[in-house]
Amino acid sequence: MILLEIKNRIIEETLLHRFNSPKPESIDITVADFDGVLYHISNPDSDKGKIRVSISLKFYSDLKAHGAEELIQKFYGDYAVTPEDGYDISLQFDYENLPANKEEWAEKAALLKCKCFASVFHKYFQLQRDGKQDATAIIHYRDRETMYVSAQKDRVTVIFSTIFTDDDDIIIGKVFMQEFKEGRRGSGTAPQVLFSHAEPPAELQGTDALTGQNVGYITFVLFPRSFKDEAAADKTVNLIHTFRDYLHYHIKCSKAYLHCRMRVRTAALLKILNRARPEIKTTEKKTISGRTFARK
Amino acid sequence: MRRLFVKSQRRPKMSATLKPYLSAVRASLTAAMCLENFESQVVERHNKPEVEVKSSKELLLTPVTVSRNEKERILIESSINSIRVSIAIKQADEIEKILCKKFMRFMMQRAEHFFILRRKPIEGYDISFLITNFHTEQMYKHKLVDFVIQFMEEIDKEISEMKISLNARARIVAEEFLKNF
Repeated sequence: MILLEIKNRIIEETLLHRFNSPKPESIDITVADFDGVLYHISNPDSDKGKIRVSISLKFYSDLKAHGAEELIQKFYGDYAVTPEDGYDISLQFDYENLPANKEEWAEKAALLKCKCFASVFHKYFQLQRDGKQDATAIIHYRDRETMYVSAQKDRVTVIFSTIFTDDDDIIIGKVFMQEFKEGRRGSGTAPQVLFSHAEPPAELQGTDALTGQNVGYITFVLFPRSFKDEAAADKTVNLIHTFRDYLHYHIKCSKAYLHCRMRVRTAALLKILNRARPEIKTTEKKTISGRTFARK
Repeated sequence: MRRLFVKSQRRPKMSATLKPYLSAVRASLTAAMCLENFESQVVERHNKPEVEVKSSKELLLTPVTVSRNEKERILIESSINSIRVSIAIKQADEIEKILCKKFMRFMMQRAEHFFILRRKPIEGYDISFLITNFHTEQMYKHKLVDFVIQFMEEIDKEISEMKISLNARARIVAEEFLKNF
């Protein structure tokens, strides 16, 4: 599992289970996802016949400004209902009146977070196609981490700011980013990736971009070929919006791996040291008549 | 003849200097590991490693440093009843530095299992061992020396292997991500 799944598997499986159960069941679960996203699956007004999936995003107001609502409405159609209290978007399914293709809709519901992000990207992809420009979109997708999207004449740039909480993470992060920079050589269609550490790139001059030793900036330069049609655009969005989690996930994985290695190596060294101890001889002592006796 | 000369020049310098370095360390350690029981002259019924407490000048010997290069060196401080061996490990770049730091920390947290390991390295070095006369009485001296030598070899190897695997992982991760565009 190198790439992270974009859909939320818990949502998908729970919904599918409910859709396929012979009689309506009551449900009330809260599920967390990356970037502080919370899902809530419940029965509105304790009506078992209805299943509601709600999502809460801390940065929904940022997304709303870029047409998240319209995209959700378009993608989910009539299933999108007035949001539950304390949540940003709600989908509602009626047990008596389920969609014909249950699997597809369960999957669609699990893509809720992804679709929220997609709105920003699609807007800027369209702007670039039309040759227009707009102010940079700023999405505060985590508490102190931000995503910037902007359209230029010939490309769309996406910049992530990310915080490395551990000093060692910065160094491991640098190794990874170096490979991302060079990784483009392996694939002709990959976007250009730039990385800057501590200082924000020139495009972000004059914004509230953070500076500091533990801040990193990752820039993706997307040329029109990355979003030339619907399928390509979707693919690009799906990858890009999980990038931050992908990077941090793999940094943590490598640290865990290194730790395992150290454990093994330490055990091996300990064995060598224990060889220095003379073995205590446990030969049985016998009396002259050949009998043994146990010392107590 | 000429070709032979070129070939030997090209050989990595490291392995050429490692052997004499380790044999010098081995000889110095063997010579230093000549310890006897010695009770404190200051406090009655106390028996402390003199190299740590440094209670009297006459109980200490001149410290010896064996260095392979600027970064890789070993300091042997001896006294009448204990020796302290401190090792500085090669750290060529940032990654090796954090790997070394992590690894040494990991080992030192397990110092009670490594009887002779000191919980803290002395300044300027990455890891220290404290060998007292009680250790040399309970364990074979030559095997203790073997351990230190093997330790030095393995650490270098392990750190470079870890670095390689980290780079390989980063490459795979990046390629996989970018391939999907």
